[in-house]
Amino acid sequence: MRFCFILSLLAVPIWAANTAIVLNSADETISIIDTKTYSVTKTFRIGKEPHHLMATPDDSYLIVANALSNDLVFLDRATGEEKRRLPNISDPYQIGFSPGNKYFVTASLRLHRTDIYSGSDFKLLKRIPTSKGPSHIIFDKNSTMVFVTLQDSNELAAIDLAKMEVAWKISLGKQPAGVWITPDDKHLLIGILGEDYVQVVDWRTRKTVKKIRTGAGAHNFIPQGDGRHVFLSNRASNKISRIDQQTLEVVDEFPAPGGPDCMDVTADGKQLWITSRWIRKVTIVDIASKKVIKQIPVGRSPHGIYLYAHAPRS
Amino acid sequence: MWEFISTQFTILHAWLFQTIIQPALYWLGMMSWDEMAFDGTELFLIGAIELLLLYILFRPLELLAPAENWPDRKQANVDFLYSMLTKLGILPLFFFLALTPTFDWVNGTLRLSGIIPPNLEDFIPILKNSPVLSSVVYLAIFDFSDYWRHRLQHSLNIWWALHSLHHSQRQMSFWTDDREHLLDQLISSLLRASLGLIIGVPPVQFLVVTLISGAIEAFSHANVRLSFGTIGERLIVSPRFHRLHHAMAVGHDGRHRGCNFAQVFSIWDVLFGTANFDATYHPTGITDQLAGIDYGEGFWSQQRLGLTRLWRTRGPQL
Repeated sequence: MRFCFILSLLAVPIWAANTAIVLNSADETISIIDTKTYSVTKTFRIGKEPHHLMATPDDSYLIVANALSNDLVFLDRATGEEKRRLPNISDPYQIGFSPGNKYFVTASLRLHRTDIYSGSDFKLLKRIPTSKGPSHIIFDKNSTMVFVTLQDSNELAAIDLAKMEVAWKISLGKQPAGVWITPDDKHLLIGILGEDYVQVVDWRTRKTVKKIRTGAGAHNFIPQGDGRHVFLSNRASNKISRIDQQTLEVVDEFPAPGGPDCMDVTADGKQLWITSRWIRKVTIVDIASKKVIKQIPVGRSPHGIYLYAHAPRS
Repeated sequence: MWEFISTQFTILHAWLFQTIIQPALYWLGMMSWDEMAFDGTELFLIGAIELLLLYILFRPLELLAPAENWPDRKQANVDFLYSMLTKLGILPLFFFLALTPTFDWVNGTLRLSGIIPPNLEDFIPILKNSPVLSSVVYLAIFDFSDYWRHRLQHSLNIWWALHSLHHSQRQMSFWTDDREHLLDQLISSLLRASLGLIIGVPPVQFLVVTLISGAIEAFSHANVRLSFGTIGERLIVSPRFHRLHHAMAVGHDGRHRGCNFAQVFSIWDVLFGTANFDATYHPTGITDQLAGIDYGEGFWSQQRLGLTRLWRTRGPQL
């Protein structure tokens, strides 16, 4: 087993660990960044409105969802090279695999719908109409539910994955966006974009248990990788909040000029990479000093970001 | 140089958005629109720059080699208001808000029925890696559609009732391009948006196409005595070529109810037999204006009279 692991490390080019991939959603391109030199090494066309990206569950590829091209593009995680393009995936805005990988789910923000595909072969299983603006998704740990924020109807929908239907909906604050689930599988953290807090919902009782004040335009989450903290981008107040998932309190704040959106954390846990939507840059924050150490110009409206060498997603 | 301009534009765009627009959206509880508003702010700034550039480039030409000499620009001035409303994105924003729910519904219904509208790139894969080529192709497709829409604006009396406002300008200048009845603009936007849905044009390309065609169309309306030469005249619409389309007793008469309908590529008129390469610079306007028919001088009177004509011409007549 250890031998296989070493072999797999050798199979990766030595420079591969230095790659960051950024989706320039309004330019239809992706930028490949060398994380050591902080320079863009390559920019190329990927498709119309690429917004979010994620690795396949086996880490073989990086999947880019092109909302307006209606396709998924499978990239080499290290080089960004296109390996495969899967057409006829309708308006994939946000994407996710259920734990166990049985399902692959897409939220169709423009078309007010959530689609469920087979996680193994991407065969469409069900299109589920929802209220307006399904934007971000998260699963419970047992893959019984996928939770979808409905940005334009101020709701959260819980879709029963076995029945493939909306099990229930609850009202939230104005324009709920990013959604995260705590490691104990108990609470949903929801960034309330139209206000200045994270709404904490006990999804089993469907009750709001807390509102964590963060900053105007609470938007999206990324775990720090220590199993305890998550970062939240506050788009209108241009800062990042670090939230303790056990105490449900903000424990730190970081500057993030230019409309922070998606984020990733370096494998050593030292840097937070953030897409700055309004200034066409990637902003890098040193977590220890809480200072912006670099801003890298990329394309228009940078959205999704992925670091090859990233912190654990927990 | 271009990088410097682009950087300065990005700074200005981000500043305007983050200082004024986004706080207003947040206050109004409309943060769902922030990405759209960000694009709208960009459109507004580009429009403002475009208006300035049009003035800097075309006004001196109008002074240098006018097709017509006017004692004043009294009639021409109202067209600037139309240009402001259109090029600064105010009317497009209004139309976008009006049309989006319908288009989302159509799009969503199609996809729920298993029909995913194809993209142009699915049929022409080479376009995937060439933004310039794909912009040219999109421009040609939209212009082809605009040519036939324009033919209908002249041949259907009910549509001409609205479109005649555009032709009623007797002091045609580079601002005249956007002088359209609001209902006429709404119909044109609906058609353009439908085409965009069918061929799947992305917003960036749509912006590029709009900017290029807008600049060429503005220039083609300029009060300038200028031809693009024998070959050029057959490819791109020149001020001379388009002036004939607006010429009194020429531009809305004859077998095709006019001539030189193309907006950007004059090749469409050549291909479909509607080109007129007469070198004469005629006065612009509509013949019945000589008999005292009033099309209005101010914005609101022009809009009101357009609706009055529409009411009198109700019922499709060919």
